[in-house]
Amino acid sequence: MLSYLIRRLAYAVLTFFGITVAVFALIHSVPGDPTAIFFSARGRPPAAILQHIRHEHHLDEPIVAQYVWWVKGIVTLDFGKSIFDGQPVMAHIAEKMPNTFVLNLISFLVAALLGVPIGLWSATRSGRLSERASAVGFFLLYSLPSFWVALLLMQFFSVKLNVLPLFGMTSDDYLQMNAAQQLLDRVRHLILPVVTLSYAELAIFARFSKSALTEVIRQDFITTARAKGAAPAAVMWRHAFRNALIPLITLLGLTIPYLISGSVIVETIFQWDGIGRLYFDSMQQRDYPMVLGLTVTTAVITLFASLFADILYVLADPRIRFEEAR
Amino acid sequence: MRVGESIWGLTWRRFRRSKLAVIALVYVALMALVALLAPLLAAPAAPVPFGPNDVDIAHRLEAPTAQHRFGTDDLGRDVLARMIHGARISLTVGFTATAISLIVGSILGALAGYYGGAADWIVSRLIEVLLCFPFLFLVLGIVALFKPSLYTIMIALGLTSWTTEARFVRGELLRIRDLDFAHAARAIGARDARVIFRHLLPNALAPVLVSSSFGVASAILFESALSFLGFGVPIPTASWGSILAIAEEHIQHAWWLAFFPGVAIFLTVASFNVIGDRFRDAMDPRSD
Repeated sequence: MLSYLIRRLAYAVLTFFGITVAVFALIHSVPGDPTAIFFSARGRPPAAILQHIRHEHHLDEPIVAQYVWWVKGIVTLDFGKSIFDGQPVMAHIAEKMPNTFVLNLISFLVAALLGVPIGLWSATRSGRLSERASAVGFFLLYSLPSFWVALLLMQFFSVKLNVLPLFGMTSDDYLQMNAAQQLLDRVRHLILPVVTLSYAELAIFARFSKSALTEVIRQDFITTARAKGAAPAAVMWRHAFRNALIPLITLLGLTIPYLISGSVIVETIFQWDGIGRLYFDSMQQRDYPMVLGLTVTTAVITLFASLFADILYVLADPRIRFEEAR
Repeated sequence: MRVGESIWGLTWRRFRRSKLAVIALVYVALMALVALLAPLLAAPAAPVPFGPNDVDIAHRLEAPTAQHRFGTDDLGRDVLARMIHGARISLTVGFTATAISLIVGSILGALAGYYGGAADWIVSRLIEVLLCFPFLFLVLGIVALFKPSLYTIMIALGLTSWTTEARFVRGELLRIRDLDFAHAARAIGARDARVIFRHLLPNALAPVLVSSSFGVASAILFESALSFLGFGVPIPTASWGSILAIAEEHIQHAWWLAFFPGVAIFLTVASFNVIGDRFRDAMDPRSD
């Protein structure tokens, strides 16, 4: 167990450096040095100033030295300053992260708490019409473009029925409300973004848990349990479900990048003040330190999530060892 | 299995049993035809008598009528005409991006599976790193850095989505590299490249090709998302996603701008997903 942990951690560190090399290589594969990109939108400053900027950002040093400077910054959580307002990139990310976290956590819970039971249920109805209909249903959900769903939801609930706010995180008169009204106001603003962010995730959870349970039901120990005369419900609850839930742990690591990707679209449409919208805005303003900082931060979050999921997996199922987990 | 029936014949016979899959296949074929014939379908004096960029300010933001069947956008352009031409962008990006990821994934997966050891280690780490990035962040970043265009979108999508293909091929090659026919090929003196690309890869490719239908679906979805966000094919080129971007600005009063292109994206993506799913089931030896 300990040797597994150590090896898994070593791989995580390695992957971290892989992430930094990938991002660094990407930014340096653009023709011209970073100053060329930074100033392409704003006009080039005089040569002397440019030289000063290049020196200040270590751009006049060899490429390997530049990389080392850059990684040093990342490790100390220093991603430089936003070009747009001169504030540290990390301060911006820290400010917006909680909003994205709330939105993603609620969407994740909605997707898991609805998707997993639906998936398990449909696996127990193997071969029947309801199972086949639900399989098609998952596919259709999964194929719906989220930005289109968002537009339709806004058109129906906000414009036509006028029962939910069109966008934003709180109403204009939020500060004048009492605590209960404030909570209600927040919930009302959350509904459409959460629906938009969670429906595809729900389909993934349902499909995944369905195939996990189908896999388990095929195994010998289920046949044994049935053969010794256990009631069908007991076989499902005591033997099958528990084992089917273990593979779901891997979804923890897999869905986080998926949710963050979705945040870019959902937060932009609903004007939700999180890192997805920050990423989109930074991209439009060509604020590259911000873009780099956000890319590395979200990749590292994913890295931690999958590390956590892998360790959890081994704890939940001692049969899994490092090599099999590959 | 019938006597003398090939694996593809068997797969096709099983595939046909699903009505939904056949409908999806017909729909995709129709879409491909629309994309191919777009200049003949939507142009002055064509069945849809408007070009995709024919501006008509006098008729801006008109709801569907007998003349403009899907309505007009904020510049009075015919939405149906723009959608017909948008089909070209969607399908081109879908197929090209998937082809790129198929090529990259097959080569890297084949090297990893065939040689194992260091090659396998490197490719596996590469996949691990790639999977850490939120997909849209990465694609949006690449497209924006290298200036949005049809080509950057196809390349960015292709170069970031090969991981599934690589894993598939790697697994298959690991399984078949030590079978007798592989040894036989080496025994008659074939070089590694010939063994991999002539003998092993063709035997490993069928399931990957089938699953690439999912790749096309997701590439179409992401292209429309990029266009919606304003990082897609540069305007004024018509794309389903960019019509939806205009729809967002006029959400209070122009429902048709959001409705029709969205249906087009949804049906196309769903069709490719259904086709992939049913083909996979049809090839699965565990099904009857």
